[in-house]
Amino acid sequence: MKTRSWLDLLLMLVVTLAACTSGNVPEVCSRDKFGCAVIEPDTTIKIGMGGPMTGGSANFGIDISQGAQIAIADAGEFQGFRFELVAEDDEGTPEGGAAVANRFVMDKSIVAVAGHIMSGPTDAAMPIYEKAGIPMMSPAATNIELTKKGSAVFNRVAFTDAMQARFAAEYLYHKLGIRDLALIHDSTAYGSGIAEEVRKDFEALGGKIVGFEAITRGEADYSAPLVKIAAAKPQALYFGGSVQEGVILVNQMKITGLEGVIFFGDDGTFGSDFLTRTGVNGEGAYSTSFTLPESDRKTRFDAAYEKTYGIPPGKLSPFTWNGYDSTAPLILAIKSVAIIGGDGKLYIPRGALVTSVRNTRDYQGVTGTITCSPVGECSAAQPTFYVIQGGKWVEAPK
Amino acid sequence: MTHAQLHPAFRTGVIFGVVVIFLMLIGFATTAAQLLGALLGNMTFPLVNLLFLLGLVGLWGGAMGVRSAEAAISAPQAAPAAKTDTANAALVCGLMTGGMTGLLVAGLVFVVSILHARGANIRACLYALSPETIQLLSLGLPPAAAALAHLGLQLLSGIAGALLGRAVSLRGDHWQRRLSASRQLVRRRLASSASQPKIAHVWANRRLRRPLLCCSGLALVLLLPLVLGQYWNYNLGTIGIYVVLGLGLNVVVGLAGLLDLGYVAFFAIGAYTMALLTAPEPHHLQWSFWIALPIAVCLAALTGVLLGIPVLRLRGDYLAIVTLGFGEIIGILSRSDMLAPFSGGPLGVRGIAGPTLLGRTFSSQRDFLYLIVLSVLLTIFVTSRLRNSRVGRAWLAMADDETVSRAMGLNTLKYKLLAFGIGAAFAGLGGALFAARNQFTGPEDQTLMVSINVLALIIVGGTGSVPGIIIGALVLKGLPEMLRPLENYRLLAFGALLVVMIIWKPTGLWPPAKRRLESREVAEAFSDAEITTTEDKLKQ
Amino acid sequence: MLDRPPELPALSRTRRLNIYRVIRSGLGALLVAYVAWRLYEVLVVKAEYGPDTWLRFAISGLVLGSVYSLIAIGYTLVYGILRMINFAHGDVMMLGAFGGYFVLEALSAIPVASEVNPPLTFLNAHPILAVILAFACGMSIAALSGFFLERIVYHPLRRAPRLAPLIGAIGASVFLENAAQLLFGPQRRDYNNPFLLLRGAGWLIPVGTGVRLTYTGVLTFVLSLILMLGLYLLVYHTRLGCAMRAVAEDKQTAALMGIDVDHVISLTFVISGALAGAAGVMWGLHNGLVYYLIGFVPGLKAFTAAVLGGIGNVPGTLFGGLLLGTIESVGPAALGIDFQLKDVIAFLILILVLLFRPAGLLGEVSTEETL
Repeated sequence: MKTRSWLDLLLMLVVTLAACTSGNVPEVCSRDKFGCAVIEPDTTIKIGMGGPMTGGSANFGIDISQGAQIAIADAGEFQGFRFELVAEDDEGTPEGGAAVANRFVMDKSIVAVAGHIMSGPTDAAMPIYEKAGIPMMSPAATNIELTKKGSAVFNRVAFTDAMQARFAAEYLYHKLGIRDLALIHDSTAYGSGIAEEVRKDFEALGGKIVGFEAITRGEADYSAPLVKIAAAKPQALYFGGSVQEGVILVNQMKITGLEGVIFFGDDGTFGSDFLTRTGVNGEGAYSTSFTLPESDRKTRFDAAYEKTYGIPPGKLSPFTWNGYDSTAPLILAIKSVAIIGGDGKLYIPRGALVTSVRNTRDYQGVTGTITCSPVGECSAAQPTFYVIQGGKWVEAPK
Repeated sequence: MTHAQLHPAFRTGVIFGVVVIFLMLIGFATTAAQLLGALLGNMTFPLVNLLFLLGLVGLWGGAMGVRSAEAAISAPQAAPAAKTDTANAALVCGLMTGGMTGLLVAGLVFVVSILHARGANIRACLYALSPETIQLLSLGLPPAAAALAHLGLQLLSGIAGALLGRAVSLRGDHWQRRLSASRQLVRRRLASSASQPKIAHVWANRRLRRPLLCCSGLALVLLLPLVLGQYWNYNLGTIGIYVVLGLGLNVVVGLAGLLDLGYVAFFAIGAYTMALLTAPEPHHLQWSFWIALPIAVCLAALTGVLLGIPVLRLRGDYLAIVTLGFGEIIGILSRSDMLAPFSGGPLGVRGIAGPTLLGRTFSSQRDFLYLIVLSVLLTIFVTSRLRNSRVGRAWLAMADDETVSRAMGLNTLKYKLLAFGIGAAFAGLGGALFAARNQFTGPEDQTLMVSINVLALIIVGGTGSVPGIIIGALVLKGLPEMLRPLENYRLLAFGALLVVMIIWKPTGLWPPAKRRLESREVAEAFSDAEITTTEDKLKQ
Repeated sequence: MLDRPPELPALSRTRRLNIYRVIRSGLGALLVAYVAWRLYEVLVVKAEYGPDTWLRFAISGLVLGSVYSLIAIGYTLVYGILRMINFAHGDVMMLGAFGGYFVLEALSAIPVASEVNPPLTFLNAHPILAVILAFACGMSIAALSGFFLERIVYHPLRRAPRLAPLIGAIGASVFLENAAQLLFGPQRRDYNNPFLLLRGAGWLIPVGTGVRLTYTGVLTFVLSLILMLGLYLLVYHTRLGCAMRAVAEDKQTAALMGIDVDHVISLTFVISGALAGAAGVMWGLHNGLVYYLIGFVPGLKAFTAAVLGGIGNVPGTLFGGLLLGTIESVGPAALGIDFQLKDVIAFLILILVLLFRPAGLLGEVSTEETL
């Protein structure tokens, strides 16, 4: 009898305690498919980012993570909790992407990922985040297939190559009146993908493709493929790739017989670096950008970036602004679903966060208005084309 | 104070100074200070941490200075009296070392601070020197004061280090003698006594030691995946795949003595074969993993043999470059437009199938880890059987001296081809497992760094020994995962490690038993055993 | 020393080797047939390229080739003496390129008083002096790097088995590349050429639509020739060169003859480094691009060039470099394949040369049997 009563007492105590403590944990956590992330007081809410921080593409990773840091700084404090960016090196390879993803999933205080940056690692990391309920917002993974896989967690502020290619082809054909187009790409998933799309769209419009060449990244002399293209006498040259190679191509166009041919670059070639490094040779070259021409937010971002890092945004890579705009909506979503528990801890229901990120609507970023479509395409702004005139980027006539 | 004593101290000081300057210029000094702060929990005082670290470096420098001075003067003579047995001598050594380090560091800090104060954009030249870093390095003081502070810090810690070094070396000799005496005593006790506990007997008995280690290792490896989480299972899986690759390359480099720098080519062939046979795009062949795996392995082996036929007659260095070129060719081809319809081009191949067992797909890292462990065991089995067979002995003979083995009638070309083919087969196995696990493969996975990683693995771990290769894989693949905060410096450390290991311990961290036998036991045999002549043996 | 070839195809002694010879010859014949067919297709059937295009290809190839030769002479020197491939040579070249870059940057920031608007900088006021200073700085930094590379990495490994220096070289190469990335940042930098030597400016040859022969291209070519000549004179007409050749022949005997072997080897690396530095500055002036990875692939190609011409053989290196550059530029167009595959061509040539003529195209075939 005595043991019985002791046991009953113990049971009551346990139940009461459970009731008390569970009163601190918000109810949504038990209903949420992925549970809640619990952030202890005096610790930070972490946002992960995977990108190439070493190797030949290190400039992309470093630049975009720096842009994201500005967003973190702008976010300030939320209910007494600060945000933190955990940027890790995925080396730009699928292996690295999966490794970083597994590590992020292990850290329970990482609630969202602004990444990854390259399409290959993003593809490898997606299923891992999907299983753990961590939303993604990629700044620069532009491969078309990524949003066609039915993922609930993947979103991106980067623009699909398909859309950019369509606009570029139309601009070339209708606005600039080009009928003979040559294309060069840099053998990356990004560059070759977009060049292929432009080729298809241009031919569909009725234009003729007179040359399609591929170059390898990291070299310094592309005169041979340019000479070959020159022999076919194109009116314009479309380049799918990044600033580095684009600059070399533009600088070598004159000596390879492509004088007078219009250079048209994708959004990977836009930026102040392109201007300074092509100098006089760059007059008349076109490029694409999705960043707002000018706005208050952009000016403020530019100033903050330059002050913190000593170089202007867009110098290391053209995606600096995307770094900001991939992290800020995540922060916004976190702020909207996080609940402060009775015990002072912050509870972030993961499933609700995934949905909230997917439902981002009309967020005013530095690259434009961010609204996510049902499949995770969050950028609906149209590309703006720019042309170099007088040593400056000037918006090309529409 | 002789010049012979001062010169090494001077040189040590200069070396330490240059290294510290280099570390400061790449931003490592600030990262280390922050790391220390994170460890100790005082993130808000990086300055203190930096001073602490610099002081430690100075201490070490001072100690090394004194030791090199001693080494310089005591080299021909062994008399302990030749050491710096006056505190003054040690003091001067420390002063010299610390002074040199201090001068160099102070000079750098002075120049950088002055330029920064004048408004020069140092970051345009030296990327790591942001204003905050410069502020930290100059200790928050004006340029002249900062320089003097650094100089003073280095001098003081140098002197302290020198005194410490002298103390250790004076007592160290004494401790060394006592340690070796006690070690000998224990050894004699163990050897002579009959009534020892069973465990000690078993341990002392070398023949039983290996199976014991193997069994316990096996048990660990089979039970661990059940306990570890997804992340660690993934990492262990990567390490396992690299062990397979390492064992394969070991057959080529360690056993047959052929330097292959294009190992990634066979890895790529294995990965792409698995990918193209099981993925829905681009060929719509969706064969099962278990069918594709042996095909991948065989195809890789075949490629190895085909590559070997023209190439294996070349000499060591040339072979290395040619295989490097072949690896690059495969990388270029996988990225090319020409082969894009066949291999997916730069976009790679996605949707690679995983293995299914009894209807259940391998979906978690744990299942994959078991599969990888199985492959590792298989590889170990095959390579050790090979090594102890006629083929293995032929390889050893070839690696030692090719002319002689050819003179003895060995068909070196056949054995070289065999080695190449088998190495390629294991690379194909590793590649196929890799692709199946990531469910995605592309040209970015087939880079030169993979070949270099595998080569470094077997060099660091120990060419030719299985536990060595496992250790090498743990060090080169597992350690960077654990040291994530320092990951910007990962490749730098990798390069330095490679150079250091090859100079300091060319046979690796765990050399194969045969070589250890040669070096240590032979020395022992000649030192304290009696040499029995053949005649004596015959008489017994 | 420098004309002692390392390899000779072994005479087949047993019947068993014949199968392999048959396969090899068969593959070789197939390759020749394929090349002939493609050439016919492109040159005769399609004939889409005019003479100006071919001339442009040729010029681009020769200039590229002379850059390869510049880098290759350093390789050749070290290989000739130590029988060792200095994997880190490309990175020494990269350091030289950075040295020249910083000098030109510094000089372009020094204003020189004059009435011209925009104001002249030192760089444009004294362009020749500026370029000479850039070369001096680049070459010194590279020479120092070569010296320390030898001291720290190769000297301790001199008695080690033959794999060890190669691995040490690989480690050193990785270290140097990443050190450069951490020190100077991941961004690509552009050389600040003086107005006299702007990239892309040059003489116009009136063929077809006008073919441009750039100043920097000509400078590269001429500089390669001058440096080659200098090296040749050094090796064959000076005492130091004699000592180098002696060390290459037989280290021990040379030491017995009173030559300070360590000193000679150090000097070899210093000279090789200086040559690499010159190549680096030239690379920067002509191609403009400088970042931490510029040494890697050109280093590999330069080694291919050296082997092609005959490693250890100075004129052979020049010839090999030019030939390789030309094949890379003209080859893909002539064979009608993608330019992406030009590296494939380069490496295939390497393999073919090493198989059929390991001494190189200009090397001397010796009767020495080497394994």
